[in-house]
Amino acid sequence: MLRGDPEFGGYGFTHETSIPYALAVHKVRLSFVRVAALLATLFLGLGVPATPAAQAAPQAASGTGLPPVLRVGTEGVYPPFSYHDSSDKLTGFDVDLITAIGKRLGVKIEFVETPWDSMFSALQSKRIDLVANEVTRNPQRAAKYDLSAPYISTTGVLVVKSDNTTIKSLADLKGKRAAENITSNWAQTAKDAGATVVGVDAMDKAVAALTDGRVDAMVNDQLAVKNYLNTTGNKSVKIVATTNDKSQSVFAARKGSGYMPAINKQIAQMRQDGSLQQIYNKYFGAKSEQKSTTSDWQIVKDNAWPMLRATLKTTIPLTAVSFVIGLILSVLVALMRRSSVFLLSWTARVYISIIRGTPLLVQLVIVFYGLPEIGVRFSTFISAAIALSLNVGGYGAEIVRSAISSVPRGQWEAAETIGMDYRTSLRRVVLPQAARIAVPPLGNTLLSLVKDTSLTSAILALDLFHQAQIAAAPTYSYFALYSAAAVYYWVICFVLNGFQGRLETRLNRYVTA
Amino acid sequence: MNDTSRQALLEATSVAKTFGDHQVIRDISFTVPKGTVTVIIGPSGSGKTTLLRGLNALERPDRGIIRIGDVTVDFDTVKASRHGRLKASDRELIRRYQARSGMVFQSHNLFPHRTALQNVTEGPIVVQGKPSEQANADARELLAKVGLAEHADKYPAQLSGGQQQRVGIARALALEPDLLLFDEPTSALDPELVGGVLQVIRGLAGEGRTMVLVTHEIRFARDVADQVLFIDGGVVVERGAPADVIDQPQQERTRTFLHRLLEV
Repeated sequence: MLRGDPEFGGYGFTHETSIPYALAVHKVRLSFVRVAALLATLFLGLGVPATPAAQAAPQAASGTGLPPVLRVGTEGVYPPFSYHDSSDKLTGFDVDLITAIGKRLGVKIEFVETPWDSMFSALQSKRIDLVANEVTRNPQRAAKYDLSAPYISTTGVLVVKSDNTTIKSLADLKGKRAAENITSNWAQTAKDAGATVVGVDAMDKAVAALTDGRVDAMVNDQLAVKNYLNTTGNKSVKIVATTNDKSQSVFAARKGSGYMPAINKQIAQMRQDGSLQQIYNKYFGAKSEQKSTTSDWQIVKDNAWPMLRATLKTTIPLTAVSFVIGLILSVLVALMRRSSVFLLSWTARVYISIIRGTPLLVQLVIVFYGLPEIGVRFSTFISAAIALSLNVGGYGAEIVRSAISSVPRGQWEAAETIGMDYRTSLRRVVLPQAARIAVPPLGNTLLSLVKDTSLTSAILALDLFHQAQIAAAPTYSYFALYSAAAVYYWVICFVLNGFQGRLETRLNRYVTA
Repeated sequence: MNDTSRQALLEATSVAKTFGDHQVIRDISFTVPKGTVTVIIGPSGSGKTTLLRGLNALERPDRGIIRIGDVTVDFDTVKASRHGRLKASDRELIRRYQARSGMVFQSHNLFPHRTALQNVTEGPIVVQGKPSEQANADARELLAKVGLAEHADKYPAQLSGGQQQRVGIARALALEPDLLLFDEPTSALDPELVGGVLQVIRGLAGEGRTMVLVTHEIRFARDVADQVLFIDGGVVVERGAPADVIDQPQQERTRTFLHRLLEV
């Protein structure tokens, strides 16, 4: 088992170890995606896997049963299987393998970077057609999805401190302490061997515990351990034995896809002609690329531009578009909420209640994965903009409503006596005054929005925070890169705050005059 | 009286208004001849402000007919729906009715985000569609008339209470209404600022404008009013020339009220 599995319980340690979430918040958030995805599915009453009939595939590439363009979901932050190299190019064992298979089949592969926790939601909602991300074969998955033949298998390894000579096999673990993710199957293996399990949530922490002598051993996935040791150049621990556990990785598609015969044939051929071994060697072989240890500072410097690019291309446009639409929505909903027509005010109330009463992440997941299931499909950027605009609209509506209410009644009356109708009164008299009152709280909403765009990294993999994740995954420099991302967010907010100050001064000029 | 009522600019007949269980105006009828000043006096809670606001439909009477100039509204038929909405034809009628009068509020209700000049030009430009140069020129003239020529470009917050109220008067005048309504225009002012405002109103009376004022300035009322209505309990208790109502009130309630007011 290579993957921590959101759908069938955390079986492996590998996922967590190869992506040691340096920020606890991030970890909480990701596990929350599962809940959100589940809720989204429940809301829409679509808990069952899509039926074959629902997926009438576009015309297949001749004779293969595959569409001419195959959208492949992969994480991009899971080295060495799926990650970005130092030139920010998507690469990795799974990426190379499915690319090679696509080439052989004459199918264009289009990678859709998708966080692991929403990978299967993306598959069900047809944002992707295939998962190439070290999906471990198990009976539950076999029942729910089309799975390919295994293309890689791995075992567990026993790791101890370099100078330890007493532990040579699992049998030696009796009475010792082992550092494990307590929900993983490796923890079970260690326990079965008679060890006491000490809970850790990441590979680097487990290694640190070993080095410090707080624990005596750890059992973990072979490939993940090798990759960790290769990447970090850590020599303080060593592999002393392998376990009998064996897990097999497969590609997954929606049930009834009809993709697998062609894919399986290529896997078998590649195994025979040695090209599968070639790819394996590239990432796991003895001569696999040894990364020189780079300083955190250098890594941050190397990634400064990619992060800035993500900021300029996604984070800022997404914030701007969502805020403008959200603001218009705020005014409309606030007016509806004030309306004497019951249907309008009631609709506004329900909308506000839903937006304010549900987590933004759930809203994002619903728009992103829920709507496609009922046939409403938008591009990723637009989906994110819709969800964020709706969110801003819900909070903004209450701000605008209270700002309108705070304009004295006499202002409406004065407007009426000079002959203004409702709309003119609003436009010329009430809203300009309400704006002054609404600016500080709306400023809060805007700054929240800037930071909330990072939540979209949980579903669409484009923004600043996701860029930080991509850079951190293969280098293990989580703290440095996430701190750098925090600085970016802070700078944006600082600048916006300056604008807000100037706007307030301008709007206040007639009051403080 | 018959003679003047034929030339009446304002004619209110059997007006009534209830708020919840409280009948604020029971049954009030009166006329205001063109070119005259009518002052409404009465104790607090007597319904005088509600009556005045009814003349501008800021408060729509429940019953009664009010005619201002050529616009007659029968409030027995102009009724809001359950949601407080009027039929489109009624809205249009009310709009024309409101356009006949200009309102000066107790608390001036100037638009704080607009300068004195903009407050005055807002109605002519936005509602009446007057060209802005024309509106600006007219507004400056009006501001000069109320003694604020040099304050035209100040915001309300930069003006004193008395100056604000005079801008309010200029704003009402800018729409050239047939009838001017004043709701206790000096009640919210510091005593030393009252004089300037009253002087402006007196000037308007001198021009022969038709006005209805609610005020507690009894001496001022005696000076400028052609007609005084003493209202109490939602009805007109006494009505007549100031020399009669204020100096020789016939009714006990009027006497008591005036006695209290003048005693202070």
